Amino acid sequence: MKVLRQLFKRIVQRVNINLRELNFDVSPFAVELIPLDQMSKFYAFYGITPDHPLDLHFEHSAIAGSYFLGKSRVRSSIVYKSDIRGDELKRKGSDVNFKKFILTLTKDEIIDIEDSILIKTLVHNYSHDPETPEKFFIKDTLAMDYANIHGSPSDGCFLGPFATVDLTTMRDCVIGAYSYVQAGEISHLKVDPGTIWVNSNNNFNFFYKYPEGTLEHYVSLSPDKVPWGILIDFIEERKSEFQRVFDYVNHEVIESIPKTASLDRYAVVLPVVTIADNVLVAQRAYIENSDLGKGANAQENCFIINSTLEGNNVTAHGAKIIEADLKSNVFVGFNSFLFGKKESRLTINEGCVIMPHTIVDIEVPLEIPPEHLVWGLVRNGEELAENSISLEKLSEIKSIFSQGKMCFEGNGAMFVGAFKERIHHILHANGAFYKNWENAGHAQKNQRLSLNTIQPFQFGVKEGMYPNIKIQP
Amino acid sequence: MKNYLVKDLMVPISEYAAVPVGTSLVEAIWVLERAQEVYTENKFQHRVILVFELDGHVVGKISQLRVLKALENEREFDNEIKEMRKFKFSEAFIAHIRDQFSSQKKIIKEEILREVAAKKVEEFMQTLTPGEYVSEDSAIDTAISKLVAGAHTSLLVTRDDEIVGIIRLADVFAALFHEIVSLEEGYPVFPSSPLGFKIPEVS
Repeated sequence: MKVLRQLFKRIVQRVNINLRELNFDVSPFAVELIPLDQMSKFYAFYGITPDHPLDLHFEHSAIAGSYFLGKSRVRSSIVYKSDIRGDELKRKGSDVNFKKFILTLTKDEIIDIEDSILIKTLVHNYSHDPETPEKFFIKDTLAMDYANIHGSPSDGCFLGPFATVDLTTMRDCVIGAYSYVQAGEISHLKVDPGTIWVNSNNNFNFFYKYPEGTLEHYVSLSPDKVPWGILIDFIEERKSEFQRVFDYVNHEVIESIPKTASLDRYAVVLPVVTIADNVLVAQRAYIENSDLGKGANAQENCFIINSTLEGNNVTAHGAKIIEADLKSNVFVGFNSFLFGKKESRLTINEGCVIMPHTIVDIEVPLEIPPEHLVWGLVRNGEELAENSISLEKLSEIKSIFSQGKMCFEGNGAMFVGAFKERIHHILHANGAFYKNWENAGHAQKNQRLSLNTIQPFQFGVKEGMYPNIKIQP
Repeated sequence: MKNYLVKDLMVPISEYAAVPVGTSLVEAIWVLERAQEVYTENKFQHRVILVFELDGHVVGKISQLRVLKALENEREFDNEIKEMRKFKFSEAFIAHIRDQFSSQKKIIKEEILREVAAKKVEEFMQTLTPGEYVSEDSAIDTAISKLVAGAHTSLLVTRDDEIVGIIRLADVFAALFHEIVSLEEGYPVFPSSPLGFKIPEVS
């Protein structure tokens, strides 16, 4: 394990060098974070499909428990139980439009991970950096448990647990636990835990920060400790179910799944679950006693328990829906935690947008009216009134607006429009609108996917490391 | 402009209101009041209190604006403003939330006044930056550049390592104004500056 230890030390140093201006030292977090002895216990696996290039390259890396799809390269990195999903990467010959520029790609885009540590992290989408359209780079970066790096090239960054960076190029930044950033480009920025920031230059700017002392109950992070809080406990309690699906090579097929829907073999499904047409259930999703209506999706690290999703629902990466009834076209953003209870169910009406990283934790039944935007912490009706707004009212905002701890500046109609357009795009990409052989998306294409596994060195100085491997057709 | 030097327009340090670190705000205001009482005699209107270390070294200054800031003293609010700037909100938005905050918080309340009065000067003084010093032998042009660049209302005047006086924006402006009007025939030329400060003769 000597090589693995050296690699770990080297990456931590590289991240620290990048973050020296922010005076942020990742070492204390990293020491407790990475169970090096686990690195030889889990196999890595990759998908083979006719729909995406098979071009994988692993070099001087440890990739235990991680999943790879599409074109990716991992060098001098530790990638633990992470999903590197390259099924939305740009393809050779496609055009990239940026302002007045149109750039035609001369090769397929690649996810390029170098000198980085990713723990239970999701990497998905494609690089939105117009300067590197063919390379989705992740370099000198440390991402903690359940972070999402979504279309966001990263150089010299730290992402706390449950942090999401979405469609943003980041350089030398610290993103606090449970923070969500979508801002195009950021550098040398330290973002406090629980910050939700969506900025589109000259168009709109949305900002919310969890009130002091409220977030710690759900997710906490301190040096020399692994992350803790209700969100971590919630996942830990269901860990054994995932162990079961990863232990067996061939799983029993659930017969009731329509041919147009996709249930990943690394998803947990517990009775009684109904799955309608065009549904997508991704790997590491957890579905228990729930109904997924036509076109609904459950992305990586989602939990849907004792709930109904009427149809065309997006449950973005890491979102959790418990004891809830969602009408059609409800969007639940990244890592949101909708925590209804048996005696106090949560109802979300049509067309609602639950902002990424929203927590709804209720002890009495709560109903969210149709076409509303909801954000932040909601534990009762009073907090719902403070942390929600109808999409119609939001669309009328022309310049400045604040409500509770939420600040908004810019064009409300553009903000609503951008969200609606993105939700439509996600549903389309996931195959929610598939009909008569048209509009196929992940739900349909994933059915043509098979998986292979690769194993690490089990003994000697390289224990936990993986052999250098190139996998091509 | 005549060849004024900084030392021609400065107020000597000995005539300035000054307090040592550790002085409470209320004591500092008393010192300023006493200095104002002799204003009519020496013509120096005091708007600033200097703060010095026990070794006599000047470490900061307190202006009237600084006292008002101490009254407002909303650290949390300051942080919020910083955060808004960090996350790219406009100055118009910041003005909006500042108004909102002000409407929620009353400043002139007995408990707040008592609390502020007991504060030590070093808690809210403005610490001096390198751009706030000017040598007594510098041309007045140098002082104008520094006042404009740092948006200062006064500069500390040095002789070697020692602070010997203060040059104030009002006095520099008065001298400049005097020069401008004297250039134009037909404009009245004041025997002394409009502020009552006598322009020294320069050889």
